Amino acid sequence: MAMTQNIVLIGNPNTGKSSLFNALTGAKQRVGNYPGVTVEKKSGIWNLDSKHSVQLFDVPGTYSLSAQSPDERIAVDVLTGQVEGLSVPDLIIAVVDVQNLQRNLFLVSQAADLEIPMVIALNCWDQAEKKGLQIDCALLASRLGVPVIPTVAHRHQGMDKLASAAQKALLDQPMMARPQWPTAVQTALDRLDRELNQQRAEGLRPGELQRLLFDRSSSVQNRLKTASCECQPLLKEVRRELYRAGYNPNAAESLLRFRFLNPLLGDIAARQSAIMQRSRSESIDQILLHRFWGLVVFVGMMYLVFQSVYSWASPFMDLIEGLTGGLQSRIAPLLDGMPMLQSLVVDGMIGGVGSFLIFLPQILVLFLFIALLEESGYMARAAFLMDKLFRWCGLNGKSFVPLLSSYACAIPGILSARTIADPKARLLTVLLTPLMSCSARLPVYILLIGAFVEPLYGPGIAGLTLFAMHVIGLCVAAPCAWLLHRFCLRGQPAAPYFMELPAYKPPNLRHIVGRVYASGRDFIVRAGTVIFAMTILIWALLYFPRSPELAQQLEQDFPAVLQDSSAAMDSLQAESARLQAMDAAYLEQSYLGRVGKWLQPVFAPAGYDWKITVGILASFPAREIIVSTLGIAYALGGDVDDQSSDLRSRLTAAKWESGPMAGQPVFNIAVALSLMVFFALCMQCGATVATLAQELNWAWAIASFGCVTFIAWLAAVATYQISHWILCTP
Amino acid sequence: MKKTKKSMPLDQVQRGGRFRVLQVNAESASLTQLMALGLVPGVEVRLTHRAPLLDPLAIEFGGCHVSLRREDAAQVTVGVC
Repeated sequence: MAMTQNIVLIGNPNTGKSSLFNALTGAKQRVGNYPGVTVEKKSGIWNLDSKHSVQLFDVPGTYSLSAQSPDERIAVDVLTGQVEGLSVPDLIIAVVDVQNLQRNLFLVSQAADLEIPMVIALNCWDQAEKKGLQIDCALLASRLGVPVIPTVAHRHQGMDKLASAAQKALLDQPMMARPQWPTAVQTALDRLDRELNQQRAEGLRPGELQRLLFDRSSSVQNRLKTASCECQPLLKEVRRELYRAGYNPNAAESLLRFRFLNPLLGDIAARQSAIMQRSRSESIDQILLHRFWGLVVFVGMMYLVFQSVYSWASPFMDLIEGLTGGLQSRIAPLLDGMPMLQSLVVDGMIGGVGSFLIFLPQILVLFLFIALLEESGYMARAAFLMDKLFRWCGLNGKSFVPLLSSYACAIPGILSARTIADPKARLLTVLLTPLMSCSARLPVYILLIGAFVEPLYGPGIAGLTLFAMHVIGLCVAAPCAWLLHRFCLRGQPAAPYFMELPAYKPPNLRHIVGRVYASGRDFIVRAGTVIFAMTILIWALLYFPRSPELAQQLEQDFPAVLQDSSAAMDSLQAESARLQAMDAAYLEQSYLGRVGKWLQPVFAPAGYDWKITVGILASFPAREIIVSTLGIAYALGGDVDDQSSDLRSRLTAAKWESGPMAGQPVFNIAVALSLMVFFALCMQCGATVATLAQELNWAWAIASFGCVTFIAWLAAVATYQISHWILCTP
Repeated sequence: MKKTKKSMPLDQVQRGGRFRVLQVNAESASLTQLMALGLVPGVEVRLTHRAPLLDPLAIEFGGCHVSLRREDAAQVTVGVC
């Protein structure tokens, strides 16, 4: 055979289409449970028999070809051979949920007008049988004019029959029955055919002409060779004429196709609606969608999810941290003779890998829950309950889970926003996630609250401050979303909103494991590399330059303590103090130290000295770094954590070295609050920036990074000025 | 006995009652998509749930459960069966 034949799988969402694709090709990928999950183009090899194999394409699940959402546009493009490197398919396999024939066949009937041979797979046959639904496949096949094969995709039943039917159909080219249009519609289609195909050689098939006639906007319209100034008036006129003849072009297709399908399915469909009354899902929904109990269950469920994200992930995070630390202390002595290589490997490389692997446990746990919620069908209900709360600022109900998960970590939050079908709401949600106070900010809060708030105001106010830091991001995010929604993204119309509430079903273990694995792999491969690079860059900026002259100078400034046996303990302490002081001096001389000194005036209105400025700059790859950088800057050695009371006392004791405030303490309550606010808002996380770029693009990532940094600076300055005025003026 | 009006918008019907779709405003993009799912005149429809803040609504027609916003539901006219 000269060329591999192409077969395309189409079908509504939630019909088990992806399961069928897996069963036929053996490829590993995830299965969506509600609109918008399947967005990638998937293909695989399907062996029809030992000799004959074809290429199978899975297009996103859609309800119609009316090309409103990106998914539907892709479906139309694939079926009409407009996707690059993909010719018009040789055969369509239409996946149809037996339990909902009428609705499912609407899409199939639209596809039939594209004049591509077709085979119908009646999926979910087992569930239909369980409900006592009996369908005469032979009768249905003879009425529709194409082979109809019962299948149970997730149990791989009916696959052989489907393969032999497909093989036969590639030869016989069976076409599904198409509706007879009323005169007015036919006249309109004939006119489009005449003007576009005969006069302008567009070569459109009847189905494509129908898309032009019935849809407000379609991908077919965008790719016409005819200039839009010519075809727009034509389409407008044809649609107006149809309207005058008594058919609203927006509604006509649905009315006419169902009028065509209903008699074909009449006897089957009648039995169906009797069976569908009060399904088990509906009884469950009596509680889960209840106005009071539904919310109780929802809040409880979310509490459980995030409790688990924290508690299940933390042992693994500790383990990764321990491994990183252990590896660092093992490797360091091996490279003792080469200080630069030692620092590069230990601080830069191992530290860098550790700094993004630490996110992995939380990502995996959260995605486990998201996969469970989606696969079971609950996610659509959660979105239903939350929708109104989010809509005023351009988000929707599905924004809830991404935003809430960002309180653990923004990265899984950004990734989970993929479940939002409306592109505008998804963009807004993704842009807001970094403002939620993630768990990596906690060390900074704990350090500063412990050092400055608690001693002054007691544990009550300290707790309140911690809470306020978690709320402040939300307070900034909501107006930001509203502004973006109202002004920047005004041109983008909100996608039409409706959401199927699919029947509940027990989650499939294989799909869940697959999705969790894919999310982890995506994060490591795509975001990990960028984070790693950024960590190395910051390491280099903190390490270099180390010229021999500088080393000599420092050796002179900090003369080695003479080994004196009588005061071994003292000299040991003095030696470590000397090394710390040298580290601090190196930091001051490093490129980043110089930049910090140079940039200090920018942060002066927020009350920061150059050491804090360096700490802020150094923590752009990962905000936790601030604690250890402050440790070095205030000469305590890099090995400090937020609990270290030494660091607290050092910070309290730090004094301005020069300038108008020389001699006064650097840190006071106003500086501490201002620094916390800065950390609460600023996107100091290379991983987040990389993930934003991966999910949106670099332009959005950089723009949002810039905006958020500016907002954080503004808020920090305001906090310092206001709290200084209130709290620090005698 | 409560007086039932002949026709009313879908967002104002009694929860759980069965109604017949009389008219769907095809100018709303959400509704044209719902029409493709089978929400066309003549079909029986039921309002199954209202969300806690009274919006969106959940409806059922032809065995299909869908949530839609109240402003869209207001443009579907239904009558008693």
